[in-house]
Parts: sequence; C-alpha cells; structure tokens
Amino acid sequence: MSTRARALGPAMATAAALLATLAVAAALLALGGHPPGDAFAALFRGAFGSWDRFVSFTLVRATPLLLTGLAVAFAFKARVWNIGAEGQLHAGALAAVAAAVAMPGAPALVLIPAALLAAAAAGALWASVPAAMKTGMGVGEVITTLLMNFVALFMAQFLVQGPLRESRGVFNQTDEIPAAAHLPDLLPGTRLHLGFLIGVLVAVALWLHLTRTPGGFRVRAVGASPRAAEVSGRFRVRPVVWLAFLASGAIAGLAGGVQVAGVTHRMYEGLSPGWGYTAIAVALLARLNPLAVVVTAVVFGALSAGGGAMQRDAGVPEVWVRGIEALVILAVLAVDRSWQALAGRGARG
Amino acid sequence: MNTHGSVPSAARLRDVSRRFGPVTALDGVSFDLVPGEIHGLLGENGAGKTTLARVLGGLLVPDGGRVEIGGRVVALRNARDARALGVAMVHQHFSLVPRFTGFENVALFDRGAWTGRGAAAPGYRDRVEARAGELGLEVELDVPVSELGVGARQRIEILKALMSETGVLLLDEPTAVLAPREVDGLFAVLKEVSGAGTAIVLVAHKLDEVLAAADRVTVLRRGRWVLTEEAASVSAGELAEAMVGGAVGGGVPGVGVGRGKRVGWAAQVADPLGGRGEGADEVADAGPPPVASLRNVGTTRDGRSALRDVTLDVRRGEVLGIAGVDGNGQRELARVLAGVRTPDRGRAILPEEVGWIPQDRSGEGLVNGFTISENVAFALHGRDACRKGPWLDWAGIADAAAELVREMDVRATSSAAPASVLSGGNQQKVVTGREFLRSGNLLVAESPTRGLDVKATVAVRSRIAALARDGDRTPGVVLISADLDEILELSDRIAVMARGRLVPVPRDAHNRRDIGELMLGARGADAP
Repeated sequence: MSTRARALGPAMATAAALLATLAVAAALLALGGHPPGDAFAALFRGAFGSWDRFVSFTLVRATPLLLTGLAVAFAFKARVWNIGAEGQLHAGALAAVAAAVAMPGAPALVLIPAALLAAAAAGALWASVPAAMKTGMGVGEVITTLLMNFVALFMAQFLVQGPLRESRGVFNQTDEIPAAAHLPDLLPGTRLHLGFLIGVLVAVALWLHLTRTPGGFRVRAVGASPRAAEVSGRFRVRPVVWLAFLASGAIAGLAGGVQVAGVTHRMYEGLSPGWGYTAIAVALLARLNPLAVVVTAVVFGALSAGGGAMQRDAGVPEVWVRGIEALVILAVLAVDRSWQALAGRGARG
Repeated sequence: MNTHGSVPSAARLRDVSRRFGPVTALDGVSFDLVPGEIHGLLGENGAGKTTLARVLGGLLVPDGGRVEIGGRVVALRNARDARALGVAMVHQHFSLVPRFTGFENVALFDRGAWTGRGAAAPGYRDRVEARAGELGLEVELDVPVSELGVGARQRIEILKALMSETGVLLLDEPTAVLAPREVDGLFAVLKEVSGAGTAIVLVAHKLDEVLAAADRVTVLRRGRWVLTEEAASVSAGELAEAMVGGAVGGGVPGVGVGRGKRVGWAAQVADPLGGRGEGADEVADAGPPPVASLRNVGTTRDGRSALRDVTLDVRRGEVLGIAGVDGNGQRELARVLAGVRTPDRGRAILPEEVGWIPQDRSGEGLVNGFTISENVAFALHGRDACRKGPWLDWAGIADAAAELVREMDVRATSSAAPASVLSGGNQQKVVTGREFLRSGNLLVAESPTRGLDVKATVAVRSRIAALARDGDRTPGVVLISADLDEILELSDRIAVMARGRLVPVPRDAHNRRDIGELMLGARGADAP
C-alpha cells in the first residue's frame, strides 16, 4: 500500500461510514413512515440553511463537542480510555461559575481567564481521581471515569439546588455570572462566541504537540504500545498516562467553562445533553486526529442544530437525531474493522 | 517429488496458494504426508512453512488449490473442522490456560472429558494418564501450567493434541524454546507417536535437528516448493542451499562469522565473570575498566526470585555470551543491564545509555504502526541534536533513519514505510541498527536472531561481531541467547543462566555438551 493510499484511507473510510449511516437512517426513516428526503432536507436547512443558521446554531452547538471531542481524542491517543468527559465538563462548568460569581467587580480581562482556568483545573482535578487509581492501583479507567460522571452530575444537582442556588430562589440554577465574564462574540451579529476559536486553537496545539514534539511522540508511543515505549523508548509510561488524564480532563473541563461563559451564563441541571458521550463518536470519527475533530465536531453540531428543524418542519421527532449519532459510531467502528481487514496487515508465512 | 502411489496419504495439498495482501505466502505448493512419517518442513522466514501448516490445520483458508485429508477433498473453515478430521496443531506459542493444571488444560479442550450435561466423564483421568504412558510423555498433571517449564508445557500441549484420534500432528517450531536435552526428549516422543501411525509435520529452521528427527524433508523457498527428499539421502549443505537458493555469505549459521580472532586480556581472565568475591579487584585491574558491572544483583518478580546473586563485568571489545533455556531470568537480566529494571538487591553500575535489542521484536522492539523513522526516533527523540527549540527535528531523524536503512541493508522502499510491511529479518535490522546508534558503551542483544532466516542471521551476527572489534568506539556486548551455536560462535566469555543464577563456563567447557548440561541445571547451577 502506498503512503498516499495510507493517508487517504482513513478519510475515505470515514466518508464511507457517514454514507452508510445516511443509507441506514434513510431506510429506518422510511420504515417509520417519514419520507427520508423531506427529513434530510429539513435537517440540512436547519444546519446550513443560512449563514446565521450555520454560525449561530451549528457552530455554537459544535463548540462543546469540539472541546470534549479533543479531550477524548487526546486521551485515547495515549490509550487512556477516558469515558468521563461528561463529568469533567460538569466540574469545569461549576468551577467557572463559582470563580466568576466570586469576583463580581473584576474586569473581563481578569474574569474570563480566571473562569476558564478554574474550569480547566476542575476538569483536570476530576480526571486525577481515575488517573491515580489507574497508575497507583491498576484500576481500569473505563469504569472509574464513567462512575465519576455520575458523581459530577449529582454534585451539580446538589449545588444548584442548595449552596449555589440563585438568590431569587425560583429555579434550580445558579445566579447569572457577571457580564464581564461573558465570552465576547466572535462574529458581530451572530451568537458565535470566543469559545469556538479557543476550541480550534486547542485543536491546532494538540496536533502540533502530537506530531512535532518529543512529548507528543511519547504520548503516541504509549498509545501504540506501552511495552515498546518502555523498552525501545526507554521512558517511563506512568508520567505519560498522567499527562493524558490531566490534559484530557482539563480540556473537557474547559468545554464546561466555555459553555457557561459563552452561552448559558449560568449553571443549571441538565446543562449538557450528553456532549461528553457524543464526544467519543466525534473523536472516533476523526480517527483521534485533533484537526479532523474540528470537522467531525461541526458534523455533529450540524446534526444537533438540524434535529430541531427536522422535528419542526418534517415532523420527525428529535430523538431520531440521537439514533443517527449512535449509528455513526457503529458505522465508524464497522468500517474501520473492514478497512483494516482489506488493508491486510500482518500474517507472514 | 516422491510419490507414494500405493500408500494412502494422511494429508495432501495440491497447488495450494495463499496471499496476504500484496505478499504471496504460498504459491502453488503441493505436499504429501504419509501415515506414520515425520515430515520436516524447512525454509527461511517468510518461506511459507507456517502458512502451509496453518492451511493444513484449518486456520487459514487457501485462495486456490485443494486440501485432502485421509484421501478426501475437504474445505476446512476453521481449526475445529480440521480437528474433527483428526488434524491437530501445536503452536509456537502455547494455548494453555496458565492457572489451570495440566490435567484441567487437557480436559478443557477435549469433548471426551465431559458428559453431555457438562459433568466430568468418569474414568477420564485414567484415560489421560494411560495415553501419556502410551506416548512416553512425562507430564505433570496436577501443577498449574504457569509453574511448569517450557518443555513441560509443550508436553502437555502435545498430550492435549493427541487425546482424541489424530491422523496428522502439526508442530510449529517446537524446538525453538527447548534446551538440547529436551529436544532429544521431544524427538523420542515424536518417534513414538509416528510409530503408532500418526503423520507428523515438523516445522523448523534448524537443519541438523530436522535431519536427526525426520523421515522426509520438504524445503520451501519464497512460498514455492523446492524439494522433497528422504532425510537419509540429503545433506545439511544441500538443504541449506535449497533453502536460500545459492551460497550465502558466511555459510549457514553456526559456521564462522568470526570468532577467535580476538586475543588479549579477555582470554587470560581466570574467572570468566570478572570475579566474584575476593579476587574481584585483582581481575578488574588486570584489564581495562568494565563498562558495566553487576555485584550480587537480585530481583524479585511476583514474589519469587527472578535473579539471584548475579555478578558480572563487561568490558569494551568483548562479547559476553549468556546461554540458557528461556525463562531462567535472562529477560530480567537484560532489563537490569538496560537500566529499565532497578535491582532489588545488590549493586549495578551501568553506562548512561545502553543499546538493547529486546527479545520480543514486534511487541517491544518496534511499533508496527509507526514508520521506520518513527521507530528510529525511539533512540533519538530525547537528544538535543534531534530538536529544534521545542520541536522534534523530523527531517534530521529521517536522514538518520535513511542512513540506517542503507547501512543495515534494510529492504524497504523508504524510511517513511511503516514497520508492519517489513519482514521479520528487516524489522530486526531496524531494531539492531537503532540500538547500535544508542550503544555508547554497552549493547545487550537478547536472542537477536531468533526467527530470522539464514541471510538475516548471518547479517545480524556479523554486525555484532564487527561491533565488538570496532576500535576505540567499540562497546562491550552482552549476548543473551538460547541458541548455543550463536553463543559459541560469537562469545569471548560464556556464562549460563539457570534458575536466576549466572554460572561461569570455564574456557575448556566451551562446547555444546557441557554448556547444555549447565543450561538444564544438571551441574553447579542449583542450590536454593
């Protein structure tokens, strides 16, 4: 197989996965009595129908998926199966609100960095528990990161019902953060905020780190083969695993901070519709390549933005979008496997 | 090709082909197996011998050609199909459950061990013991397999394969892991089994062993059939030539890459390990200072002693050969010498950077999904010379990798090719070249030619031999190998590793028989 074919292979496989998903979704929609053409057209209009739909809906919804997707991709790259982006996002959102509310008079130049740093730190802290359990006791992180999600969700619930509840005492939500803590708009006249740019910058930084720096090389080596990293690379695996946990947690936490500072301006129950889980699909569809995560996050952002339009205009319930997201994950995994089989690696006589 | 028209065949392949992507592993090969024969299957790495065995064993479906078993054309889809037709395979890497006892492992894979309701069949234990007795297999049935040596595990594996009616027994490189005496034991068992009518295919790459054990020999080269001969009527030289298709540079492995030309202090050292106890300082003063020293080093792994009281010195320009049956602490010793494992007891003085060719090439020495450059970067990524500010200098690393590809004669389109497309021999050349880059003062080579073909073996061995004679820059080399020929060929001094202890071999005992006895712990290596 030539180098070129190798480079193109993943992109083609990804496209094939998306096409397969569309085909299956169309068949299911037809079975459910919805003309697939109408549904897809409504979905497309909702996501890309106008400049404003694209920027204010698709890209805004893509932003938390972009950051959590990057968090998952980076961890997976190091073979750290962080399923806990959802919990880390909640921890980050809470920390950002707490930090912003605590400094009501501070200027934006202080408040915004403080809130986002607090969010990243809280996400990293949340990830440090599974990290310590994995490196210290050998406890598998799939379970621990997942369970930490529930802890974060219930903690958020408790805080917005009690200690952090708004001073009016009407809804289960926090007070609004000071206006100085709101992320500035990226494009005037749209709802797109600085968070999307932050996401793109994190993507570029991660890509440079992974492909161009010694530290990133170590992360990839540990992800490809921890034993080879230890024996051939002669470096210790444990610090690399810690780095992957903490960086991943920080980026997921940042997603929460960006969401409250950029969109909701407060914390409430059900802030995230499961971005931390969808992030796994975003990362896998991008083959864990940070630059590709920008694209796949926008694809999933478009699904989310178009879902509402599909319900409104074509009468297709929005849960179908959830089904389509799940189909994408299945298709990516299936196509990936068959692609590897086609490439026929290994096995010499 | 010999035909046995009158004798019914046990198994037969006709024009069988099998491709893996762009690689043709088997190209129109025909092969006959007669009941009761031991049939040696020889060839270099990549010649197709394992592929052929796997086709017969039902593990690979051929792309073309015909498979006959017991005179009938069959379509084997998996190993279970083959087993049902009486074909059993013993793999290079055993398929035993480590925590189960030998008996449990045998029972696990044998339907006859169970009643229809899943209970143990009455009298099964007696049947197992009787079968082992018939075959002359000495097996430990009541000890967890994880506590058994490799030879003992292999005997369990063979018993497992032969519990039910077996017409064809396939053994993939069964001798690779065994000590010389265990090899003899294995062959005695195989004679017994074949005497009872079972046809045996013995995949191997050691000529002398195959000639000693086999009735007939088939040679494959690059996926094609080359010859099939009676073992009695063919010489090792003829077979070697058939395997490699022409004379090879240094002859077959085991024939002189260049030992014995070095003289000097190494030959005069009285205690081959550089002295334990009183005389240590004297011995050290007699030669140049050692580049690496271990003093009474011990390690514990999983609650057991892996290394016990190991003392050695390595000096520039010498090859210290460490022989031993696999699993006697060699891997632990390599890890200690490479600085990856800190000793639990004793003292280790080691150079800052150590070249280490690990035993497990594809699992530890390389990352298959990485390019050659990236694999070379394992040795270079920490060096200031390979950085530009915070960035890795990939262009510089690619140049170094391209240089290595030329230098080591790696057959690859470019240093940007992934390691997974290289053959085993070329992969090993990449690892060897990279570790040469790294080895300032000490190179640890762990079974550096295991699984390599004749040409690659000669190439790697002569590099190691040349390295140790490379003037001022030369490192000390520790060669750890279960291959006695390799040890005898390359080493200036020899020690044997047995049960975690390192036993010096006096110069007058540098021969297969004496070292073999030490390897099996028959002499000197014992005591708690």
